[in-house]
Amino acid sequence: MTGRTYEQSKPLMTPAQTAALDAQRSRAKLGHNLRRGGTYALAIILAIWILLPIWLITTMAFSTPTDVRAFPKHFFPIPFSTQTLDFFLNTQGILNSTLNSLVVALLALVISTALAIPAGYAIARYLFPGRDAIRLGILSVRAFPIVVLAVPLAVVFIRLGMFDKVHSLAMMHAALTLPTTILVVASVFTSVPREFEEAAQIFGCTRMQAFWRVVLPLAVPGIAAAAILTFVLSWNEVFAAILLTITNRTLPAQILYTLDKSGDPFKFAGGFFMLVPSLIFIFFIRRYLFNMWGQITK
Amino acid sequence: MKKFPVTPYLLLLPSMIYLVLFFAYPMVQSLQLALRREGQFLHLRAEPAPEAAPVGTLEMQTEVRILDRLRTEEVLPNGRTRPIYWFQVEAEDAAGSTVQGWVSQSNVFIESRTESTTARVVSGETTQEWTLDFLRRMVTDFRFGSALGTTILLIALILPLQFVLAIVMALVLQSQIRGSTIFLYIFTLPLGISDLASGILWYSIFTQRGFLNSFLVSTGLLDQPFIFIQAGNQGWMIAAIVLAEVWRATSIVMVIVVSGLQAISRDVIEAGEVFGANLWQRLRYIILPMLKPSLQVALILRTILAFQVFAVVVALTGGNVITVLANETYRWYDPARFNNPNVAASYAGFIMLLSLGISMFYLRAVRSQEEAEKAL
Repeated sequence: MTGRTYEQSKPLMTPAQTAALDAQRSRAKLGHNLRRGGTYALAIILAIWILLPIWLITTMAFSTPTDVRAFPKHFFPIPFSTQTLDFFLNTQGILNSTLNSLVVALLALVISTALAIPAGYAIARYLFPGRDAIRLGILSVRAFPIVVLAVPLAVVFIRLGMFDKVHSLAMMHAALTLPTTILVVASVFTSVPREFEEAAQIFGCTRMQAFWRVVLPLAVPGIAAAAILTFVLSWNEVFAAILLTITNRTLPAQILYTLDKSGDPFKFAGGFFMLVPSLIFIFFIRRYLFNMWGQITK
Repeated sequence: MKKFPVTPYLLLLPSMIYLVLFFAYPMVQSLQLALRREGQFLHLRAEPAPEAAPVGTLEMQTEVRILDRLRTEEVLPNGRTRPIYWFQVEAEDAAGSTVQGWVSQSNVFIESRTESTTARVVSGETTQEWTLDFLRRMVTDFRFGSALGTTILLIALILPLQFVLAIVMALVLQSQIRGSTIFLYIFTLPLGISDLASGILWYSIFTQRGFLNSFLVSTGLLDQPFIFIQAGNQGWMIAAIVLAEVWRATSIVMVIVVSGLQAISRDVIEAGEVFGANLWQRLRYIILPMLKPSLQVALILRTILAFQVFAVVVALTGGNVITVLANETYRWYDPARFNNPNVAASYAGFIMLLSLGISMFYLRAVRSQEEAEKAL
């Protein structure tokens, strides 16, 4: 408002100056647009780099086995067919190992979440001697190659009669994801305002009730995201799986084990089949990504 | 004085116990497997009785000459008796000297207890001893050097590419173009993709009848398909692994970089713009220095994960011509191949040791990041 009245009352520039300024402004705008266009082009190239392999494997999964073996290959799933996927899913051991994978991932999710909720809450809400040491400890465990511990664990499991059991592998996977889950859950609890809890306590809730009725419901989406992360890590994990199981293989272990004996249709359909849950996973937890990894890096 | 808080420790206790059980305990076990050997020795006794004083020690499978035999009887719980023979034997021990003493029939293999004049030692007491044999076996295995070299080569090739790409992706996302949420979703897609799936994806591109050859042949760039993945083409195999890993694991670096970028105040970057710094100068003198803590953390995380690279190598190359440390661990462990958990545990310990060194840096990076936060 005031600026306009000022301009009206007192012209600052001669017409020539205005024209020069306009030219400069339009040049700047052009430069800006060019840069914007460049950024778009770069973004699209990067998106193609990510999407192309996914597209190609999808093409393979939905082509006939004959087309999968054909050369040169089609870049589109024409003719469309579910034969290759059917063949993969009906291969002996696949259905079983898929079930195993689901059971292992769900068990790992339950164990790791159940342990992480109290631990995360303690780190988020209490100040106590040794808190920083424990946080650092959890961080360094996260940075540890836990997967190679599958070798001694296999020996221990054999001795205890727990080898080649679905629940043993689930326990290993839960240990694998527990440090991450604790840190993520702690960050989720930290983001729930402490005042809510205090208000609930003022209105007569015990600390436990305040947690169950107020804090937990607010934290559920974030905890669910952490749980999904555990599920996917377990679904994807292959090294411990192939060491700790023989007859009860999970899907990745089964695929890896039969890889050199199987043909391209099996491999490609298997690759696609393992891929699908991860694509869905990212969709559900994309809101929490930075929350998660931002926290983890600290 | 405030009461000592018990609740947080109680809340943390289950997780801590769990981590000790599945982390600390196997770690100790791993060292034991790698450094201790179970040996079996048979003690020769001065008298034909299990509690008699030992007069010599024999290794398993030693051939012994029987000098004398003694028939004793053991009473079974049902009141009946069965004969147990003790043999006075003479044999050479591990040091080569001849020893004499009594052994029970349960420790030797013998054709006939009453007739035979020789027997073979088959069991004894289990002892444990420290040994470097498994480590030596690991280091002298001809694939050890190649596995270590390839692992390090992969790290050296993958990480720089990954970081440049991740920073570019993060800057593209930060430039707030329209549709950046869609780009964010696309760029983070590989986060949930396993190394095995990624290996298979890139196998479909690089295999002889794969997409790359399909493209090259149908556009006329090649007359016939080029076999990228074969024993003589190690360069191409490494390139395929590098591409697959860069494709898969760049997203995690990008997410860390984006969270780091979000922590940098926009004012700082805008101030740079106002004073006429171009994009490169802003990147070089403002953004990268402020991103340093995040980059360090991402770098260490990726390095440690890269030491464990496994499935992508097996899926792309079969894991025979090109091998990495984790693949050797599996090969030594695999009951269908070497079936030697001790050497496998040595490999596991070696990977742990390498990662431990990196973790030191990790902790230092964490500390520097916390300091940086305090300073802000």
